[in-house]
Amino acid sequence: MASEDEFNLLAIVVDVNPIWWGQQAQREPEFTLSKCLDAVMVMGNSHMAMTRTNKLAIIASHCQDSHFLYPCKTWKGGEGSGDDASSSGDGKYELLSVANNLIAEEIRNVMSKTEVRGHSTDTLLAGSLAKALCYIHRVTKELEAGQEMKSRILVIKAADDCALQYMNFMNVIFAAQKQNILIDACVLDSDSGLLQQACDITGGLYLKIPQKVALAQYLLWVFLPDSDQRSQLVLPPPAHVDYRAACFCHRNLIEIGYVCSVCLSIFCNFSPICTTCETAFKIQLPQMVKSKKKKLKPST
Amino acid sequence: MASLSEEVLLVVKKVRQKKQDGTLYLMAERIAWGPEGKDRFTVSHLYADIRCQKISPDGKAKIQLQLVLHTGESTTFHFANESSALKDREAAKELLQQLLPKFKKKANKELEEKNRMLQEDPVLFQLYKDLVVSQVISAEEFWANRLSINNTDHSLSNNKQEVGISAAFLADIRPQTDGCNGLRYNLTADIIESIFRTYPTVKQKYGENVPHNLTEKEFWTRFFQSHYFHRDRINTGTQDIFSECAKQDEKGLKSMVVQGVKNPMVDLLSLEDKTLDEGYGVSTAPSTSNSNKTVKENSNSAIIKRFNHHSAMVLAAGSRKGETSSTDGNSRDSDFFQPPVKKVKLQESIEYEDLQRENGPKTVALNLKKSDRYAHGPVPLQSQQYTTSQDIINSVNCIRHEMANYKPNLTQVLSNSTASSAIAALSPGGVLMQAGAQQAINRKCNDWCNLTLT
Repeated sequence: MASEDEFNLLAIVVDVNPIWWGQQAQREPEFTLSKCLDAVMVMGNSHMAMTRTNKLAIIASHCQDSHFLYPCKTWKGGEGSGDDASSSGDGKYELLSVANNLIAEEIRNVMSKTEVRGHSTDTLLAGSLAKALCYIHRVTKELEAGQEMKSRILVIKAADDCALQYMNFMNVIFAAQKQNILIDACVLDSDSGLLQQACDITGGLYLKIPQKVALAQYLLWVFLPDSDQRSQLVLPPPAHVDYRAACFCHRNLIEIGYVCSVCLSIFCNFSPICTTCETAFKIQLPQMVKSKKKKLKPST
Repeated sequence: MASLSEEVLLVVKKVRQKKQDGTLYLMAERIAWGPEGKDRFTVSHLYADIRCQKISPDGKAKIQLQLVLHTGESTTFHFANESSALKDREAAKELLQQLLPKFKKKANKELEEKNRMLQEDPVLFQLYKDLVVSQVISAEEFWANRLSINNTDHSLSNNKQEVGISAAFLADIRPQTDGCNGLRYNLTADIIESIFRTYPTVKQKYGENVPHNLTEKEFWTRFFQSHYFHRDRINTGTQDIFSECAKQDEKGLKSMVVQGVKNPMVDLLSLEDKTLDEGYGVSTAPSTSNSNKTVKENSNSAIIKRFNHHSAMVLAAGSRKGETSSTDGNSRDSDFFQPPVKKVKLQESIEYEDLQRENGPKTVALNLKKSDRYAHGPVPLQSQQYTTSQDIINSVNCIRHEMANYKPNLTQVLSNSTASSAIAALSPGGVLMQAGAQQAINRKCNDWCNLTLT
């Protein structure tokens, strides 16, 4: 039984890239952003219903910014806004109904403010993860003496990886690892190498689901239990992660290469000057064995 | 030749040396013997040169005294006076016993120092062996070189940790009841040293009285019996040898109070009571310390004075660095805060460290020519899907339209069939669990192999 002093915080980062979801609505009309958000709400409600001390945070990751869907800054604990919220009439736990209404309202606001911009079509996932980490950090600091908190982040990813966010992503991953925060990933469309690395390093679960329509089922089955309970369950095994680095000159994956000691850039061939930082190196190369030239037999 | 200024401490007639009759003279700094009838000395030894003296056993007919010098030589004196030979010899022996230790220290100190240096530094010892024992250079040359070097780090070599005095050392001498009405105090050398270091007046008294007037045991008995040691010092009789100590202690305490605390940041005088009755804050109230007090107040103030004095002596003894004989027992280390220390204290209190400029280590900035490589990092090129701007506009409009009317419909999230197919995929043997199944099979094979091999 969880005691009064153990909190469990689940931060869900939902990828609401409007371009991808707009295209998805045209490709597969039975699974759109609305359905995805419904599944996320079910997941959030289940998490809060498990124990009274469970906490929830939902962040929408857009191309322009990252926005907190829940908890909301303007939400004042539920006393004032209880009039219209509790009129759901189905006797639902008030916290859940308030949360659902808030999330719906916020996502409507976010999507209505979407502007068309040609150059930034990538989801700001690294920024959303960083915001989630900051929120977790803040809540941890607000705990009273004697209270503990375990937290994890669940990323629901739709669009493709953005290569330009590599550095920030890796920083976020290592920060999460230091804070013992799990990063789980539920990928809807195409595999993401960055998220695979994140899950491997922090100890979370990575899953690419075959059926988008059954998103809610996958979320509840795989991602609802927390890390202590996962050891008792039979869950999809971790996939093998390819940690090979790509060289900076050709972008090929290599296993053995040369690293510049000044700027740490990776090359597949030795060159006396590093092209990134232009440092000149003087090292002794191993002696090249001259290959014996084979004498061509004269053709008769 | 005996110089006239030398003080002769003892003259013993009829002392034979090397089968010659003569007189033995013990002077302030040396012992000398001259044959009968002549005024010059044939044998003269400085006390510093004498290593030890030996006497013949009591039963023997010949009563002899032998002096062994540091160099190994020995001189024997035979006391031939029929009547007082034994007495003479005893007198000479006792005088020598008292005089020799004084001079011994000086001579031996150097040797001891040298020995110590050799023992502490094995390299030096090896060097000594190589050079002096094999007679490359003489011992004097060796030490002449060494001592000039070692005088500089003499101070460093004496950095043995000084052990302080436990403040409770007097309380640790717990008396044990010795049967009927007696108390037994167990005094170890450590405790005695602590007492001497903390109360130099007691050490003075000890030096004066032991062993002339009192034995050590008697001294300590009197010490513990005296009111000086016990609580109330009001009734100190004049016969008590420790009554002087009490008076000196009071004097010392007063001088300490007068010296005051030399920390410029601490102003103890502002803590005094100032009343506005008379003089409107200008004249201070008369101190109430010496006005008529009741007996109870007197004894209370006596206890408080004792505690203050005891603590002050313990602290001062710890910082005196062992030189207790030379300093006056009741004066603290003057100038606790000498001018440079005072300056440092003032500096500390007017400056805040974190408001100063940061003096971090100077680092070299990384100068990159192609910094965009860092943006994508060591990640292989992936095929990018390009969307036309028309697509973008369409998608955005579509999604905005959809989400404008978004209402959560949580009762229609899943259908039965989709849920059951998802569960099937997640159950053991399902689509998503294939890799796990392979791992399980591998594990089973390994276990089976291990089982069959053992």
